[in-house]
Amino acid sequence: MDAAAEISQESGFTGESGAARIQERLQKRHQERIDDAERRKEAKESRSVAEEKGDYFFGTFNKERESIEDILSSCSGADRAVLTQKLEEATAKLLQLQKFLSDSTMFLKPYDLRQAQAALQKLQTSLTETREEGLPKKKFAFRTRTKAKDKSSAPEADTSPDAVTPAESGTSEVDGSAASVQCGISNMDNQCLTKTAEEIQKQDVLLSHLTNCKVHLFGAPSTLHLKHIDSCEILCGPVSSSVFIDQCKNSTLAFPCQQLRTHNTTDTQVYLHVTSRAIIEDCRGVSFAPFSWSYPTLEEDFAVSGLDQNLNNWSQVDDFNWLAAGTPSPNWTVIPEGDRRTSWDP
Amino acid sequence: MGLLTILKKMKQKEREMRLLMLGLDNAGKTTILKKFNGEDVSTISPTLGFNIKTLEHRGFKLNIWDVGGQKSLRSYWRNYFESTDGLVWVVDSADRLRLEDCRQELSSLLQEEMLAGATLLVFANKQDLPGALSKEAIKEALALDQIKSHHWCIIGCSAVTGENLLAGVDWLLEDIAARIFTTD
Ligand SMILES: Nc1nc2c(ncn2[C@@H]2O[C@H](COP(=O)(O)OP(=O)(O)OP(=O)(O)O)[C@@H](O)[C@H]2O)c(=O)[nH]1
Ligand SMILES: [Mg+2]
Repeated sequence: MDAAAEISQESGFTGESGAARIQERLQKRHQERIDDAERRKEAKESRSVAEEKGDYFFGTFNKERESIEDILSSCSGADRAVLTQKLEEATAKLLQLQKFLSDSTMFLKPYDLRQAQAALQKLQTSLTETREEGLPKKKFAFRTRTKAKDKSSAPEADTSPDAVTPAESGTSEVDGSAASVQCGISNMDNQCLTKTAEEIQKQDVLLSHLTNCKVHLFGAPSTLHLKHIDSCEILCGPVSSSVFIDQCKNSTLAFPCQQLRTHNTTDTQVYLHVTSRAIIEDCRGVSFAPFSWSYPTLEEDFAVSGLDQNLNNWSQVDDFNWLAAGTPSPNWTVIPEGDRRTSWDP
Repeated sequence: MGLLTILKKMKQKEREMRLLMLGLDNAGKTTILKKFNGEDVSTISPTLGFNIKTLEHRGFKLNIWDVGGQKSLRSYWRNYFESTDGLVWVVDSADRLRLEDCRQELSSLLQEEMLAGATLLVFANKQDLPGALSKEAIKEALALDQIKSHHWCIIGCSAVTGENLLAGVDWLLEDIAARIFTTD
């Protein structure tokens, strides 16, 4: 029913102010209906755009794939000249298809991307096989030639860049093994450990083989590595690039960083501020909440790290072992608000 | 005319090169690529699939492929070997704990037939970190001196400061150009 008609009709039965009120209410309801319809339409449109793009992608991808398969299967029995030409065509098409896939990664779901990559790999393998079957000699001729050439020029290639390379910076010293010392803490049990800004600022920090420890890192390191951590609480100031975790269990971690890369980790809580993305690989029972630890110089350390304090993608975690479309990874969860740590006192 | 000769001819016309960037996850591949291209490096996420950049440099058209190095993606690396002129192997020079991993992955790559003709550039990246190993130490750890099958070179660099990225790419282009555009 037309909204204007509805309003004028109803206002005919009521007094002045009542009519205004009803009119207002109706107007509001009408607006809500419009908004709602708009929302539904938008959602539908964006969904269908994504679907259309996906459909278009797979339509084209599969057509191209089949045509390459056809070329390859027509290779058997062909004479050398024809075969060469066919292989050339297949190679060019395959490269094009690779490019097409890479141009489409923006809107493809991770699962679809994997499928397409697997299909490309299969094509690649059969192309290589077909070539090996049909043109074994050519290939070896090429290899032998490069090899022979390499023998004479490889040492020269190794030394020549030194000429174009400006003198090495202070980090490299005469004795490679003694040249640099990594900043960090290793092999500790049942300890409370602290590092200050002076110790870790702009450093690459490594914590390894710690059990039942409480670690407070005040300051802004360049990067942080955690390896073999068991039942620890590790809190760290803003890390300007990546945090890399391997083999950590039953622990609580908190830090801001640019990237988080978590591997082989189980039953661990991460209170995270991440400005790009967090990923997990080969993990179970990892849970996330927004970074909530604080200490007096946190703001200054954020400034030193260069991280954007207002940009936090803590809940957008990619699982490299779970790229299925639609279904969320069973390997990580968001910590429910009621269960989050609020106090970080030592 | 063989396939490779044809491809060579095709490339000669366009002065086009295909570079493949590989290395362990977190090495800094995507950061190097973006820094080299003058883009913002602060928003880079770990690579889920791959990135491709086409850019002009010193009169060459470079197709640079940057493939994710996460363990679960490494089996897909071979998808990108075809027609590679230059392999850029990126190392996190401060990641001592994974140098052995790094050596193994590189050495198995170098045995790949499809990469047989490619020039190898090793970027000893993250030289800005105080704990970074020197390029000499990396050369030793990766046993580069034992490589006889490829032209190779190692350069210490930093994707964050941009130091030596140009020197590395220039060496690579020169080596490839000498091989594919002027010989025969
Ligand atoms: N300090 C320092 N950090 C760097 C340098 N290059 C890269 N990084 C940091 O290292 C982390 C990983 O860099 P990426 O470029 O994502 O690494 P990648 O090799 O592409 O990793 P994958 O995509 O997983 O294969 C990021 O946090 C970068 O900011 C460098 O030269 N110095
Ligand atoms: Mg990357």
